[in-house]
Amino acid sequence: MNLTRAKKTGIIISLSFLVLISISLQTTSFAADIGNCLLCHKYPGLSRVDEEGRMRLFFINESIFNNGVHAKVKCEGCHTDITEIPHKPAKKVDCLVECHIMEPSTETKFSHKDVATFIKTSVHGSVDNLGNKKNFSEDYPSCKDCHDEPLYRPLSFFKKVRPGISEASLGRCRVCHKKEDFIYQFYNHVTTRLHKSRNPLNISEMCGRCHDDPSLVARHGLSTKAVFSYGETFHGKAARFLDERVPDCLDCHVSKGESVHQMLSHKDPLSSIHENNKGKVCATIDCHPSASPKLATYGVHSEFNLTQSPVQYFFTFFFIVLTGGTLLPLMGIIFLDLLRRFFPHATIGRRK
Amino acid sequence: MEKYPAIKIKDGQKFFYRFSLNQRIQHFILAFTVVFLVLTGMPLKFSDASWAPYLYSLFGGIKYAPIVHKVNGAILMGLFFYHIFYLIYVIRKFHIDPLKKKGELKRYDALKTVLTQKMVPNLKDAYDIRDLMKYLLYLTNIRPDGDEMTWKEKFDYWAPFWGMVIIGFSGLILWYKELFTQILPGGVLNFLLIAHSDEALLAALFLFIWHWYNVHFSISVFPMGTVFLTGYLSEELMVEEHYQHYVEVMKKAGLEHEILPPHGAHRHEPHEGGASS
Repeated sequence: MNLTRAKKTGIIISLSFLVLISISLQTTSFAADIGNCLLCHKYPGLSRVDEEGRMRLFFINESIFNNGVHAKVKCEGCHTDITEIPHKPAKKVDCLVECHIMEPSTETKFSHKDVATFIKTSVHGSVDNLGNKKNFSEDYPSCKDCHDEPLYRPLSFFKKVRPGISEASLGRCRVCHKKEDFIYQFYNHVTTRLHKSRNPLNISEMCGRCHDDPSLVARHGLSTKAVFSYGETFHGKAARFLDERVPDCLDCHVSKGESVHQMLSHKDPLSSIHENNKGKVCATIDCHPSASPKLATYGVHSEFNLTQSPVQYFFTFFFIVLTGGTLLPLMGIIFLDLLRRFFPHATIGRRK
Repeated sequence: MEKYPAIKIKDGQKFFYRFSLNQRIQHFILAFTVVFLVLTGMPLKFSDASWAPYLYSLFGGIKYAPIVHKVNGAILMGLFFYHIFYLIYVIRKFHIDPLKKKGELKRYDALKTVLTQKMVPNLKDAYDIRDLMKYLLYLTNIRPDGDEMTWKEKFDYWAPFWGMVIIGFSGLILWYKELFTQILPGGVLNFLLIAHSDEALLAALFLFIWHWYNVHFSISVFPMGTVFLTGYLSEELMVEEHYQHYVEVMKKAGLEHEILPPHGAHRHEPHEGGASS
C-alpha cells in the first residue's frame, strides 16, 4: 500500500486521538450506587428551581465523587429519607447520621457524632456550658458551613514528596493486598490524612466567610476581621500565593494533637492561644523551632485601626505622610519643570 | 586622582569628570539589587493585586522569590557597609591626611572637613531650591547655578541612604526574627514590617519617579543620561545643572575664553544659536 507521508501522519494523529479519547473515557467505577441513583443523577442538566427561587443542580459527577472520601458510602446512607424512585424533594443531609460503613478499629457503625460533642464544648458551639443558647446562636457554624464534599488529595512519598499517587508505591501495596478498590481507597485515605486536605488559602477563606463579615464581627464583639488581618502578615500573603508551608487559622488556634473541632476561645486557659500558652504556638518543630516565647507576642491580627492598634495606626500614618510629603512636592516640581520647558525664557518678573 | 582628568575632549566635545569607576560600580550594584528587591517585594506588599501572582512567579513564586529577595538584600547591605568604609577611607586619604601632613589639623578641622564634603547639604541648596521655584513659576528667567553636587543629587543620595538604614536593618531583623526576638518583644516585628514595606514603597516611588525623571525622562537627558556609565558629563548638561562648578573647572584648566554662557535656556535663543556647539 502506497501511502503519502501526509496520509500516514493523518492516520497516526487520528489513532492517537482515538487512544486518548478511550483513555479519558475510562472511569474507575466503584461508587456504592446500589440504589441506582445515577440512573437519573448522571445527567449534567438535572436541575430545578426550588421553592425559594434558587437554581439547584442535582447532577453527580461520578468520577469526581469517586475521588471523594464518601465514595464508599451509599447515597441512601446520608439521604435517609429517600426510599423510592422517583423521590420527593430530599431533606438536607444530617452529617451526624449513622451510615452502613463500619469503623474498622472498633467495628461499630460509622458516624460523625463525636464531632458534634467536640463542637459543643468549643468556641463554635451554639450553647454555653449551662446548655443555654448563646447570643445570636444562629451565627454559629454547623458542619456544612465549613465543609463541602471533601476530595482525596493523595501524596506520593516514593522518591520525593509530591502531590498525587505513586504508581511505585501502589506496586508495593499489591504485594499483600489483592483488591484494587481497597488499595486505591486506603492509599488515598492515609496519604490525604498525612497532610491537610485544603491549603491555607482555602482554610482562611472558609473561616473568613464568617470572621470577615463586618456585621458578625460587630455583633459578637470580635476585635478584628481575622482573615483580613491575617492577610496582612507574611503568612497570609504567602498563603495567597498558595504556599502550603505557612500556618493557617487552624494551626495556631487548635492545640496540637486535638481535633480542629475543639477550638477554644482565647480566654479559655486550655486554648492554644491563651496568654499562658501562646508562647509555644510559634516555636513548634515545624515552624520556628528556635524561637523564644517572645516571638508569639507578634500582633498577628493587628489592623490599621485607631481603636484596635493606636500606636501602629500612628506609625503607619507617619509613613503615609512621609510618602505623600516627599513625593507630592517632587512630582509638583517635575510637572512645573515640564511646563517651564515650553517657554524657557519667559518671565512675569523683571528680566535679568 | 590623575587617573581621571577633570576635562576629557572627545570629537571636539568637552566631557567633565563626575564619578570614578569604583563609584559607578557601586551605583550599578545598588541599581540592580534595588530593582530586584522591588520586583520581589512589591508583589508581597500588594499580594491581593491581580498582577502580583504573575510578577511573583517570574521569580519562582513563593518558594524562590523570597530567596531572590534575601540574596539581593544581603548584597545591598554588603554594599552599604562597603560604602561607609569607602567614605571613611576617601575622607581620610584625600581630606584629613593632607591636612595632617601640613600640620594644619586643628581640633575641629576633622569635623569641619566631614561637614563640608560635597555631598553634605548646605545653605546654598536651600537658596537653589528657592531660586529654582522662582524660575519654575516664571517669576524670573534665571536658573540657579548649580555647584558640583546639586540639591537634587544630594536628595538622590541621602534618600536611599536613609532608606537603606531603615529598610536594611528592619529587613535583617525580620529575616532573623527568631534570633532578635530572644531579646526584642514580638510586637516590634509589627512596626518593623510596616517600616520595611512602607519605606520601600516610598523609596521605589522616589527612585522610579523622581530619580528616573532626572536621569532618564527629562527632555535634557532622554532617553538616558550616560554619566553613570562613562563617569563623564557632557558640557551641555554641565552648563545646565552645574554652572558654578563648570566655571571653576574651566578656569582651573585655563579655558576661561571657552566658557559658555549660563543656563541652557539662553543658548537656544535665535541670536545666540550659533554660539554653542
